[in-house]
Amino acid sequence: MNRTLFLLPLMMLVILAGFFGWSLLSGRDPASIGSVMVGRAAPRLSAPSLREGEPALTEALLRTGKPVLVNFFASWCAPCLAEHPLFTRLKEREGATIIGIAWKDKPEATRAWLARLGDPFAKAGYDTDGKLALDWGLSGVPETYLIDGNGIVRLHFRGPITERDLSVILPLLRGGS
Amino acid sequence: MLEFLLALLTTATVAALLAPLLRRQIVRRDRLASDTAVYRDQLAEVERERGRGALSVAEADAARTEIERRLLAAADRDKAEPEADASWHRFLVPAMCLLIPLFALGLYLRIGQPGLPAAPFVARSVPAATPDQSRDVAQAVAALRARLAEKPDDVEALSALGEALTHQADGVVTAEAQGLLRRALEKNPDDARAMFYLGLADAQGGDSRAALKRWGELEQRSPPNAPWLATLREEMQRVARAAGLPAPAAPTPPPGPTQDQMQAMQNLSPADRQQAIRGMVEGLEARLRASSGKPEDRDGWLRLANARRVLGENDKAVEAYAKADALGTLEPRLLADWAEVHVRQLQPGTAPSAAAVAVLERLEKAEPRNALALFYLGAADFARGDKPSAVRRWKTLLALLPADAPIRAMLEGKIKEAE
Repeated sequence: MNRTLFLLPLMMLVILAGFFGWSLLSGRDPASIGSVMVGRAAPRLSAPSLREGEPALTEALLRTGKPVLVNFFASWCAPCLAEHPLFTRLKEREGATIIGIAWKDKPEATRAWLARLGDPFAKAGYDTDGKLALDWGLSGVPETYLIDGNGIVRLHFRGPITERDLSVILPLLRGGS
Repeated sequence: MLEFLLALLTTATVAALLAPLLRRQIVRRDRLASDTAVYRDQLAEVERERGRGALSVAEADAARTEIERRLLAAADRDKAEPEADASWHRFLVPAMCLLIPLFALGLYLRIGQPGLPAAPFVARSVPAATPDQSRDVAQAVAALRARLAEKPDDVEALSALGEALTHQADGVVTAEAQGLLRRALEKNPDDARAMFYLGLADAQGGDSRAALKRWGELEQRSPPNAPWLATLREEMQRVARAAGLPAPAAPTPPPGPTQDQMQAMQNLSPADRQQAIRGMVEGLEARLRASSGKPEDRDGWLRLANARRVLGENDKAVEAYAKADALGTLEPRLLADWAEVHVRQLQPGTAPSAAAVAVLERLEKAEPRNALALFYLGAADFARGDKPSAVRRWKTLLALLPADAPIRAMLEGKIKEAE
């Protein structure tokens, strides 16, 4: 009885060390919280247009038969700046349709930001109070969703997209649905 | 201070770990003593009970025998245990002393990075753009746009505007900037700035391979002392690492003495060393003369010229500088060295030769306040009879000299003579 009690802290240590080691070496991303959106129909989309004189954004934009990228961004967000050139390239070289939604940002600040950096978005809306983002399960900006031609969410990236992500995005964009 | 605190902490930890190891022996002795004390108390109690009549004599005898039996058993156990415990004890401490440092060393060799340079906070913090700077950039953009409106084919303005727009967009090479840079590169395929920023645009757009290819070309075409090479290499390493691509190989360094040769040189006597150096210099010269003036030879000629200059062989150094200059115009710093070996050959009081004047004039053009050029060009003017020009150059030089410069008096004398 006494012996086993003595071993208890040691066993705890072994278990903890094993868990930490596995966490470090298995390549698991502890920051990843996954997404419940992938495989489901795209959530509701309705947002006022960022560009004056253009109609508001609606669900119809997501069901055109062509894959669409939906990107939540903000002018105050540095990672959005980092991923911005990738969207420019996707639009120019791949002809991708990208819908941008400015999250918790002043529309005039967003417009100035896009004027400075260039505007790769086919349609751009804003979600100043973040209500639309609730439906989309947004955790912050930037986040990007790939929605196929049938309006099903195929990919959901939390954080900026990078060169490595293009290998997943491009086949889906090119292959249609 | 920090190191001292860490050492203190380590000592405290080791002491805390060591204490129980060394004390185990004593604790066990204590146990026998306390066992014995308990049994003595019990014996005394049995005696007291018997005296009060609470126990019969037979009962008391039985109890005493039982207690004595236990007392003996405890003593026996104490005698038997030390054997087992001591052998365990004898090996535990040395084994730990050996195994823990070995384990630590192994771990350090595996994951430690003793060669990693320190990263002081000051070096890492990048000054943030002040409002002042952003206003400057906006002004530059406006000025460059105006220049392009007048002259749409101004390559310099095209690539400068591309750069300014990139700065304005917090380092993102925007689509507009890319268009401008591409136009600049069409008109001047050697525009290093346009190549660099278009490569950066590729990298930002997620095409690291294209970026590295373009930057590799830029590196190939850049002169070996181009000021942007260090930044370029850093960027190439960064992009390759981020994209998980193999790090681009550094361009092959020009042939020079190897580590072994340098070491061997150190061990020679001064005379032998001089001999060896001369041998290497002659070898280099022979190799360069055999080669038919390839642009890559420029570095070789410059190294030869420098060696001759250091050895004091001024006429040969002059020739080597001329050869290097023919393969690629020399920068001001090298022009100064070239001019120096020229004027070293002058007899005191004579005017520099025509060849020397040509070099000095180029040096003066590159660095209008170069003392060497001002002094000897003045001397050349004076010898030619152009006294006003000599006076002008020497007066410029006089103004540049510190008040206590030893040649002031001599120079003032010369000016007086010319006037």
